[in-house]
Amino acid sequence: MGTYILRRLIQGAFVLLAVSFICFIIFRYVGDPVLSLAGRYATIQEREMVREAFGLDKPFYVQYTRFIFNAAQGNFGKSYVSRIPALGLILERFPATAELATTAIFIAFVLGVGLGVLVSVKPYALRNRFIMAGSLGGISTPTFLMGIVLIMIFAVYLGILPPFGRGDTVKIGFWRTGFLTWSGISHLILPAFTLGMYQLAVLLRLTRAGMREVLTEEYIKTAWSKGLPPRKVIFKHALRNVLIPVVTMTGLQFGELIAFSIVTETIFQWPGMGNLLLTSIYESDQPVIVTYIMLAALIILSLNIIVDILYAFLNPKIRYD
Amino acid sequence: MKRTFLLFLVGIFMGTLSGLTGQAIAASSIVVVVDAPPRTMHPNGSDADCNLSVMANFFDGLLQRKGPEGKLVPALAVRYEHPDLLTWKFYLRKGVKFHNGNPFTAEDVKFSFERLSNPEVSEFINTGKSIASIDIIDDYTVVIKTKEPTQWFANNLHQIYMTDKESTEARDPGEVGVKPIGTGAYKFVEWVKGSYLKMAANEDYWEGAPPIKNVDLRAITESSTRFAALVSGQADLVSGVPVELYKKVIQNPKLEVITRAARRAIFLALGNKPGSPTADIRVRKAMYMAINEDEIIEKIMRGHAAPAAQIVDPATIGYNPDIKRLAYNPEMAKKLLKEAGYEKGFDITLAGPNDRYVQDEKIAEAVVKYLAKVGIKANLDVKPKSIFFPEVTGGKLDFYLIGWFDGAFDMARTYFKLIHTRDAERGFGGWNGTKFSDVTMDLLLESTAGIVDQGKRLQVIQDLNKMAMVDKIAWIPLHYQQDMYAIQKGKGIKFQPRADRWIIFKEISKE
Repeated sequence: MGTYILRRLIQGAFVLLAVSFICFIIFRYVGDPVLSLAGRYATIQEREMVREAFGLDKPFYVQYTRFIFNAAQGNFGKSYVSRIPALGLILERFPATAELATTAIFIAFVLGVGLGVLVSVKPYALRNRFIMAGSLGGISTPTFLMGIVLIMIFAVYLGILPPFGRGDTVKIGFWRTGFLTWSGISHLILPAFTLGMYQLAVLLRLTRAGMREVLTEEYIKTAWSKGLPPRKVIFKHALRNVLIPVVTMTGLQFGELIAFSIVTETIFQWPGMGNLLLTSIYESDQPVIVTYIMLAALIILSLNIIVDILYAFLNPKIRYD
Repeated sequence: MKRTFLLFLVGIFMGTLSGLTGQAIAASSIVVVVDAPPRTMHPNGSDADCNLSVMANFFDGLLQRKGPEGKLVPALAVRYEHPDLLTWKFYLRKGVKFHNGNPFTAEDVKFSFERLSNPEVSEFINTGKSIASIDIIDDYTVVIKTKEPTQWFANNLHQIYMTDKESTEARDPGEVGVKPIGTGAYKFVEWVKGSYLKMAANEDYWEGAPPIKNVDLRAITESSTRFAALVSGQADLVSGVPVELYKKVIQNPKLEVITRAARRAIFLALGNKPGSPTADIRVRKAMYMAINEDEIIEKIMRGHAAPAAQIVDPATIGYNPDIKRLAYNPEMAKKLLKEAGYEKGFDITLAGPNDRYVQDEKIAEAVVKYLAKVGIKANLDVKPKSIFFPEVTGGKLDFYLIGWFDGAFDMARTYFKLIHTRDAERGFGGWNGTKFSDVTMDLLLESTAGIVDQGKRLQVIQDLNKMAMVDKIAWIPLHYQQDMYAIQKGKGIKFQPRADRWIIFKEISKE
């Protein structure tokens, strides 16, 4: 187990290095930051002066080595736009994204597993067929459409939920939370549903498929014939065995929700990291873009490793050598 | 099981509903939604109008532009003198205090201007580098000398903000960039990046305390969400009402839409490289006449634009009211092409941004279709602005769509950037993306730098404007955009949009 984790960590470091290299190559071609850094009225000479001041005149490998060297010390450079350290800028946005993703995954897990169980017990009931059809809709509706439709219904026509932003937040240390005020929670509902909808549908279908398989097993029949109450049979005997792939999936999805909630955050003007990424791409703010992608890669890698390890604990049949 | 689950769901909803108490807004507070977020809190750290507009509330320049017409009037300088072409002497306002209580003096002026040359905190490198010396005569008199005659120096001073020397040097640079201290009508309260910027009235403001006491500025870049914020009553004032949702907004009885002509003109830039088809003025004229601008305004801009005959707006020095648009005339265009020897047309690439101006990509598509009707095969090459603009400044294009207005309200400054022959040595033609070159125009433009008499200078610039638009057809002007704002009716908000699209909160009042 120890060597396995070590090997995964070393692999992870190489992946991060590769990600940073690819980022660096790509973002050399998404625009010239000097144009905006020097201002609209800068002359050609003044632009070159600014280019030198920021070290952007240096060859690619010099810029890249310097970046890696600084990044290893936790210095990811300053944003070209807001002119403050990129890492701080992103981490400041982290609580908003983390709360949104947590709520989304919570909704997806509770509703997804709950409805999945419900549907699996009586798969041919009309209501359950509707739920299954709805889950197909949840998988296939693009996030931006879902977001706009929800805003139009709940904020514009019904006027019961706010359409954008985070509402009132409370600051605890560096963490700015929206969980502690009603305004914060009401602002969270629509974006969390939008973000979690796809995951909800996936978990629902996964749970249902697992349950349908397990419910036909011999030991479930035994449990029924022993006269156990349905709650015990379904939750204790069946669901527990179904949960292993469901938990794995949830963990993997969680990383992606945090890293790529870009569309949802943009539609709801959610002040999270995804929103920052999109703005930064528009403004050719390379230090922020590269730092963000590095951070996203780090989060996904870590979650993958954690899920692998948890898997071994949940399912003793699995061994890593 | 089923019941508990349903109860759980209902519980979530009821809980949140009860928490949604109507957002009561105090009488003298206002929530303003804009379409572009503030970028930095360094006063001159961004030359984007979305940022300058916000900074104008925290800071003052030596001069300011006031009211809807943007008239240049004194601010932190009570008056100035311009004794010779290089010298600007400013007499400062006495008794002005920064938000931290420090007095505003000549030292701060010197410090603020010197800071402009530092690319770490300024995007006004050009203004900073144009200054040769800054001399403090006494606490309230400053003499600035420029390296070259810079006729528009004073015209630019409404956006060169004065910052406090003592606190800027004493504080951590990171903090300076997020917590501004100025002399402006509003004090900084809180900035949660990507979320909101809150400011409170400066009761000791030298012009008198502003009527609105608390401002909550929110940026929503997504147009449908901005619309939702407006319709759901979460915003008192919204700038950037999307063209495609305009009808929905005017149909809403709770909202009032205010429109005004924007300063920015959209136009097509052409090259005149010897040997290329567009080197022949008849071809440039034919392309001009082939484009049905009225139809573009009606169909693509949905009426929210005004035809332009030149690339500067009426507020800019150099605007010439005598210039008229060439009428749409495809027959004449074909005739001109035949005369020029291009009866069968030619191939050209039309470049342009697709994320910068209102309907930019659609306009470019329409231009391609109009040109096809007279036999010119234009290939469309639209791309994100972050890719497009470097191609313009690199002088790599033959034909492109762009928009422009001059921040200093001076046409000569714009012409030096946009149409003067590219000359890296002297710093001319940095935005001349087609390498257009005309010696007569260059010489006339350069001559304006040395004219002392402003009346005479205006005459020469206006003549130059006419030469460029009529005699040389250096550009094909299309239209001026229109800015659209919406306010909540019945809240007694008095707001008049400005030509520069800035929202200056001290100019807004509420009953």
